[in-house]
Amino acid sequence: MEIVKTSDLVYEYIRRDEEGNVEGITTAVDKVNLDIRQGEFIAILGHNGSGKSTLAKHINAILSPTEGTVWVDGMDTSQEDKVWDIRQTAGMVFQNPDNQIIGQVVEEDVGFGPENMGIPTKEIWERVEESLRAVGMYEFRKYSPNKLSGGQKQRVSIAGVLAMHPKCIVLDEPTAMLDPSGRREVIRAVRGLNQVEGVTVILITHYMEEIIHADRVFVMDRGRIAMEGTPRQIFSQVERLKELRLDVPQVTLLAYELKKRGVELPDGILTEEELADALSVYC
Amino acid sequence: MLRDITLGQYYQTDSVIHRLDPRVKLGGTLLFILSLFLFDHFTGYLVAVVFLGIVIRLSHVPFRFMVKGMKAILFLLILTVTFNLFLTPGTELVSFWRLRITWEGLAMAVTMAARLTILIIGSSVMTLTTTPNNLTDGMEKMMKPLKLLHVPVHEVAMMMSIALRFIPILLEETDKIMKAQLARGADFESGNIFKRAKAMVPLLVPLFVSAFHRANDLAMAMESRCYRGGEGRTKMKPLIYQRRDRLAYLCIFCYLAVSIILGRLVWLWI
Repeated sequence: MEIVKTSDLVYEYIRRDEEGNVEGITTAVDKVNLDIRQGEFIAILGHNGSGKSTLAKHINAILSPTEGTVWVDGMDTSQEDKVWDIRQTAGMVFQNPDNQIIGQVVEEDVGFGPENMGIPTKEIWERVEESLRAVGMYEFRKYSPNKLSGGQKQRVSIAGVLAMHPKCIVLDEPTAMLDPSGRREVIRAVRGLNQVEGVTVILITHYMEEIIHADRVFVMDRGRIAMEGTPRQIFSQVERLKELRLDVPQVTLLAYELKKRGVELPDGILTEEELADALSVYC
Repeated sequence: MLRDITLGQYYQTDSVIHRLDPRVKLGGTLLFILSLFLFDHFTGYLVAVVFLGIVIRLSHVPFRFMVKGMKAILFLLILTVTFNLFLTPGTELVSFWRLRITWEGLAMAVTMAARLTILIIGSSVMTLTTTPNNLTDGMEKMMKPLKLLHVPVHEVAMMMSIALRFIPILLEETDKIMKAQLARGADFESGNIFKRAKAMVPLLVPLFVSAFHRANDLAMAMESRCYRGGEGRTKMKPLIYQRRDRLAYLCIFCYLAVSIILGRLVWLWI
């Protein structure tokens, strides 16, 4: 069964001048059709302003569609009485870790979601422990969030969502403000959730390296889905990616250039090991 | 480093007083302060000092931290003492030039000084032994009856705890903006007060803009984690009275009884 499904989703931002007259309409999401199955690892890729964050906010019912429908686990997000159920089913992690941590102690922040859901105290503690262990932050449970690194803070945010026991987690550019080591930490934690806990992951990003492990990738451009497929299928279309103003990972680019010069290589090489293996034939 | 600042004046250590329920400490401090205004004899203050001394010993907080709190009110203290000393009518003790000190004035000044000193030290015991977070929780629970009068108790408590979480972040941001402006030739230090206040504008505007951005993000993050006000919310760390809290209440009431008997009633009978 689909955990997230959208049909002809359209969202328009209406800009108004000081008197409230409509100044202009920007279509951020334009006729998007998605279907994401339970347990999948989905990556949504796109440069700034491609509408990927707007799309993400629909899955969490923060925005409701101008036209079309979004279903989360069979619930229509435009139904107001279902909003809280939807937010429990599809948790959301945002870009800036500082602006989404509410608690003054790590464990209190992770407990914030379950507290809001009205979970009994004893179970909150169980959930907090389990979530913090899942992201590898259990030793830091008594710390103040201000003393953690960016990657650690973002893992705490993920634990905070995980403690609500969602079926699906939407991560809206969770690594955009992190350094490379923090980025690796977060991506490792996210993959762990998907593989060990079986949570559906929708990762929104503009870093190409992060989508390598995804089951399926959607590339967005000007509010539409421009490309769709496995990471390998996506990376084999280097020219198209460049057109969409996306950076292709170095290895993939090198393999592509070599191929253009006449070296025989398979399409869509994703990792350094793969390229080394493919090249070893020539040695 | 700005990241390490502690808010309030919480002194981190482990003691019976630290572990008490914040409601006990809040209520106890309130009753203690109240008691100071009921005495009309010195013995009352003596009892208060002894009681406070015991509490301070139990709290394991060095005494000098309590005295720190006194600095803030030193001026007020001197002012009160001076006025009471010179302006109270009664039997003359000494007089020189146009000033007279009376017996009553002397007694009044000493009482006022004692009262203020004990009051400040007493309340700093509370703030030194309770984390701001705990204090907010305690206040929320104590004020709950006010909900019937439509006072948004939960919301105020939530605002306070969010403010506490964001103060260090905003301080750090101020520091960052300041450095950025200094690098571009801003001058925050020279000139008179008006000039310096004017120099703060390029600091405050970006700070406010960023604070609003943060508030917006935070509200969205809270909503996406199902926050919908205090209704139907459970607590991860609920405040439940333990044996030690009941004992502490008993101690406070004992103190109150003894101090009022000695400080007020006994002297009425004699």
